[in-house]
Amino acid sequence: MTTVDATTRSPLVVACLRITDLHPEVDLLTGAVTRDGLGVGLSPADAAALEHALRIAEAWTGRVVVVAAGPRYIVPVLREVVALGAAVVRIPYGDDASDHGQAAELAGDEHGLARAVAAALIPFGTPDLVVCGDHSVDRGTGAMPAFLAHELGAAQALGLVALTAERAGQTSGPTLIAERRLDAGWRERLRVPIPAVCSVEGAGVRLRRAPLSGALAAGSAVIASAPATTTTTHGTDGGADSWADNQSGSVHIGATRAFEPRTRVRPAPDSADPRIRLLALTGALVAHDPPTVIGPVGAAEAADALIGFLVRHGYLDGPPTPPAPPTPPAPIDPGDR
Amino acid sequence: MSEPGSVNETTGAADGSLPLGGDTTPTGALRWRGISFEERMAGVDFRVGARAHITVDSDVCRSCTTRGCVTACPANLFAPTSDGGILFNYEECFECGTCYMVCNSEGAITWTYPDGGHGVVFHHG
Amino acid sequence: MTEPSAFDAVVVGAGPAGSAAALALARAGRSVVMVERGPFAGSKNVYGGVVYGRVLDDIIPTWWNEVPVERWVVRRSTMMMTEDQSLAIDYRSHAWGVAPYNGMTTVRSHFDSWLAGQATEAGAQLVTSTVATGLVRDSAGRVIGIRTDRDGAELRAPVVIACDGVNSLLAKEAGLLPRAEASHYTLGVKEVLDLPAEAINERFGVRGHEGVDIEILGCTRGIPGGGFLYTNAETVSVGVVVSLPHLAEAKVRPEELIADLKAHPSIAPYLRGSHLREYAAHLVPEGGYDTMPTLAADGMMVAGDAAAMTLAAGLWLEGVNFAIGSGYAAGRAADRAIAVGDCSARGLASYRADLENQFVLADHKRLRKAPALVLSERVQQRYPGLLCDLAEGMFTVTNPTPKAGGLRVTRAAAAKHGVKLRELAVDTIRGMRIFG
Ligand SMILES: Cc1cc2nc3c(=O)[nH]c(=O)nc-3n(C[C@H](O)[C@H](O)[C@H](O)COP(=O)(O)OP(=O)(O)OC[C@H]3O[C@@H](n4cnc5c(N)ncnc54)[C@H](O)[C@@H]3O)c2cc1C
Ligand code: SF4
Ligand code: SF4
Repeated sequence: MTTVDATTRSPLVVACLRITDLHPEVDLLTGAVTRDGLGVGLSPADAAALEHALRIAEAWTGRVVVVAAGPRYIVPVLREVVALGAAVVRIPYGDDASDHGQAAELAGDEHGLARAVAAALIPFGTPDLVVCGDHSVDRGTGAMPAFLAHELGAAQALGLVALTAERAGQTSGPTLIAERRLDAGWRERLRVPIPAVCSVEGAGVRLRRAPLSGALAAGSAVIASAPATTTTTHGTDGGADSWADNQSGSVHIGATRAFEPRTRVRPAPDSADPRIRLLALTGALVAHDPPTVIGPVGAAEAADALIGFLVRHGYLDGPPTPPAPPTPPAPIDPGDR
Repeated sequence: MSEPGSVNETTGAADGSLPLGGDTTPTGALRWRGISFEERMAGVDFRVGARAHITVDSDVCRSCTTRGCVTACPANLFAPTSDGGILFNYEECFECGTCYMVCNSEGAITWTYPDGGHGVVFHHG
Repeated sequence: MTEPSAFDAVVVGAGPAGSAAALALARAGRSVVMVERGPFAGSKNVYGGVVYGRVLDDIIPTWWNEVPVERWVVRRSTMMMTEDQSLAIDYRSHAWGVAPYNGMTTVRSHFDSWLAGQATEAGAQLVTSTVATGLVRDSAGRVIGIRTDRDGAELRAPVVIACDGVNSLLAKEAGLLPRAEASHYTLGVKEVLDLPAEAINERFGVRGHEGVDIEILGCTRGIPGGGFLYTNAETVSVGVVVSLPHLAEAKVRPEELIADLKAHPSIAPYLRGSHLREYAAHLVPEGGYDTMPTLAADGMMVAGDAAAMTLAAGLWLEGVNFAIGSGYAAGRAADRAIAVGDCSARGLASYRADLENQFVLADHKRLRKAPALVLSERVQQRYPGLLCDLAEGMFTVTNPTPKAGGLRVTRAAAAKHGVKLRELAVDTIRGMRIFG
């Protein structure tokens, strides 16, 4: 087991979740959106973030703290989180109907939210890793994790599809291995130093369910609220500054190289008549295969049929080989903090 | 009464407003009947689980003559296929139990509840 | 009781029956856990829309001050219709609009959560998002707990109360419910439509928190069943309830029946300009008294819809009150059985005795023949038309032709609908015996 720090304190993994009503009701006449909390839940990305946090904390034998900003109706979801063995803290906003305007404001003010999250985490210690969903479902931009990384002076890697703990080598401290999508089915693999803020897509992992004992115990758990902070002010006296004194957490990106798929060269049609050449290029008068309907078959067969089609028509070369990334873009080195 | 087939599901105001009774023709030929089935289901909160809680054995259905499930399932989840079977999707299911009740072919439907916390959530039940 | 049990009782389902059972046990100082498969109490539950509150008087005094209510029903209308006619009996009571009230419209996500909250406040535990997947029995076959779909331990208790609703997989597993017959069940489909409060008040002739409840016969294309229209605060619920086997045979889709009803000239004006907010479906056990399962086995009881306790006889569609009544009685019987250390079927027998003495089984017994009459072909397919024609004959002004006499109108209407006067008399007498 890896010790994350030189000290003996147990590593702290935070999942920062946007828990919201995923099924708001929209008045068709006025466009007014009502969130009554009945549809409250975790978005796929946030569920994946929580699962990643739990797995990495297991690998590090660390603690998990979940922080979420939201109105009182998110408490049942936080209870489910407690059942999974995490500590939770809620940053209250939008508790009263009168606050809804403020809630909307905070949702739009990602920097303010990041400050509030950083402040709420102070009692738990310095996070070694914060995992977020890639963007909130209610019109989030996905920028909050970046602001949070800035507040915490941590490295950042956003929009990931995979995130695993790497065992520490003899020389280096523990790090994370992250993967992110590129064009054409390629992925880049990043090595992320800690502390870090990572945001993940809702893909690859599925949130585990809490055991019965956890669910029973969570029923009576008290869900702590973070004391109200200057959540909506833009002041520079954010609580975070006091404990993360190193503000040079901006990410350094090493040499990267764009991935450019090969172009396919087609010989020019062989004719003197431009019209004929045009017809040959567009294929306007050539008989086409009728569309192939792939009936109700299993997913694997359907995928084979689709790939077969693409290969037959020259869009793919032969059976695809899994893209081993030998010279894909050089791993981005988020650099030292 | 109009035939189900004559239902004009796509015309009409986008706001889904209903006409007064007056525009029913005496033969009921083209009566405006509100919204499409997709739109009907779009307002319902489904928290789809990973496991299909209901499965239908299409091979058993091939020899079924009643096809009660096709008309009775309120979520319209039983689609007859051209080869005489049934194509079933579990995702937008009300978990009501109609299908297994009306089906009289042993073994055609295996029916369970979705895993806890998944499936339909009624806000205005 | 040799096994140490984690709880005194396990209640499956946090619907009205389950919450009432847990409330009774918690008040008696028993440790009780409710297991609910939905993410919150009420999330899986659908009904027409009216809860009759009298049953709550004894359980939660002045419940009306805290219950989440949409509107208090002050007007109740029973409507018979044909494709283009309708005849309604309309009753309105001022007394229904003031405490202690008669019935209220409410939404299950609110009402069931409120009732479950009463139980947890009294000390019951509620575990949501958890399915009870089966019974645990000891070597003698007695029920000693349940299995759940969560990892880890089973839940053990000397008594399991199955309040798991109309499909009760537990009652079936325990062998208490004879093979479910489709003909004893109806499918309810319902649309909740947005309508501004002012529009509701104006169109239904009510104000403030007053509401209306309309039950409809003859709107289901001859499929045995009925329809309903209820007013909530800013929505209305409209739907039909139809016999399962007949629906399957009729080759009519359920949403088509709602569309028919909404387009009916007597209903459409109420709904003009409304928008669909939610479409929902649920089964109703309509078989009544004669189709109820055995209510208790060793270590187990069944209450509410799981025990087919909905009273659904045309003019009535009541289940929540019966669920609460039976659930509370089951909880109290469990407490008594635990106290004397006998949770066998014998020890739990006081449950049934208790129900026989209250409205729960007394009403069901009195109305045991009602489902058959109300769902009969004559009542469903001929009487609505007959009565509408009768009214038409009486009310249509035909002068200068002299008015036809009452008997002549009746004869003519009966003949047109293929009803013999004798049959009419028989059904009237039968109805008076059942409902009177
Ligand atoms: C269309 C329609 C209209 C109706 N109209 C009215 C009306 O106007 N007035 C009225 O009083 N009644 C009405 N009823 C009847 C009423 O809804 C029911 O009688 C009542 O809900 C029964 O309560 P219950 O607690 O027994 O069951 P339910 O309310 O069905 O509750 C059962 C609970 O158990 C849970 N559950 C089931 N299985 C499991 C499991 N294995 N593990 C864990 N949890 C489980 C369910 O999620 C649910 O919460 C209507 C019913 C329908 C369908
Ligand atoms: S599910 Fe049952 S009723 Fe439906 S087609 Fe198959 S066998 Fe027939
Ligand atoms: S349970 Fe109800 S909604 Fe689901 S498939 Fe069966 S009939 Fe359709």
